[in-house]
Amino acid sequence: MKIDRPRRKFKTIDLLPLINVVFLLILFVLIAGRPTTDHPNEIEVALSTQEAAYIAAPFSVRLGADDKFYLAGNAPKSLSEIAAQVAQTGIGAQGLAVELIADRRAHAAALMDFRQAMAKAGVGEIRIKTEFAPEQGHGN
Amino acid sequence: MRIERPKRKLEAVGLTPLIDMIFLLLLFFLLGSDFVRFSQSQLAPPRGTGGTEGMSQPAIITLNETGRVQWNGVAVTRPQLQARAADLVDTDAEQLFVVMPAAAAEVQQVVGVMDDLAEAGARAVTLERDVFDIDLSDF
Repeated sequence: MKIDRPRRKFKTIDLLPLINVVFLLILFVLIAGRPTTDHPNEIEVALSTQEAAYIAAPFSVRLGADDKFYLAGNAPKSLSEIAAQVAQTGIGAQGLAVELIADRRAHAAALMDFRQAMAKAGVGEIRIKTEFAPEQGHGN
Repeated sequence: MRIERPKRKLEAVGLTPLIDMIFLLLLFFLLGSDFVRFSQSQLAPPRGTGGTEGMSQPAIITLNETGRVQWNGVAVTRPQLQARAADLVDTDAEQLFVVMPAAAAEVQQVVGVMDDLAEAGARAVTLERDVFDIDLSDF
């Protein structure tokens, strides 16, 4: 006697759950891979209750939480090197501002050193980049 | 002879996958968008450079590393600082404010004081070294 085996049914693969899972994975990677700050060198700018229109200056310097100064790369620069570059670009002579993207945990001593170096390089105006946070206390 | 066409079956559109996709797209755009609003605090040129020539004496605000503030040597609270600054600005709109932070004070604290002054209407705020931090080799 011949026994008939029940035939296997070939189900079609539903694409929608697959797409859903792929999207979820993309989201996961997006969130997990998101940098914690918007600036290189892990700089978290100071929070400010004042909303002033942000205008990027032609020359910007980064001040890390380690009180070191950076330009384009990740190698720290001395203030004399930065002042030399500022003088080379003629920013002081043109009366333009220099932007300082300072980490909120950096110390005022570094800020003052920068202020002094820029004054010597002929820069009058310095703009400190901040993040607008209307409800932010200043932690005092 | 009349030929009968096979009738099309109207399939019901599944709402669940549609809702799934909408939620996913919503999440994607929510997370992909950047809601950070940047601002900036402006530092006036240092005293003696001819940048800011106020008619009146500059107000000296010292800030220590714990965030305490002194107004011309007298300890004040932050609201008092704002009130005093506003009084001066009412008299002279170009009043110069000199903030002297301690070397160990953090940038956030300095920005906080600058915010208070800006809130009071101050337009000319500059930074100077605290007298105790002045390096005589600079002179």
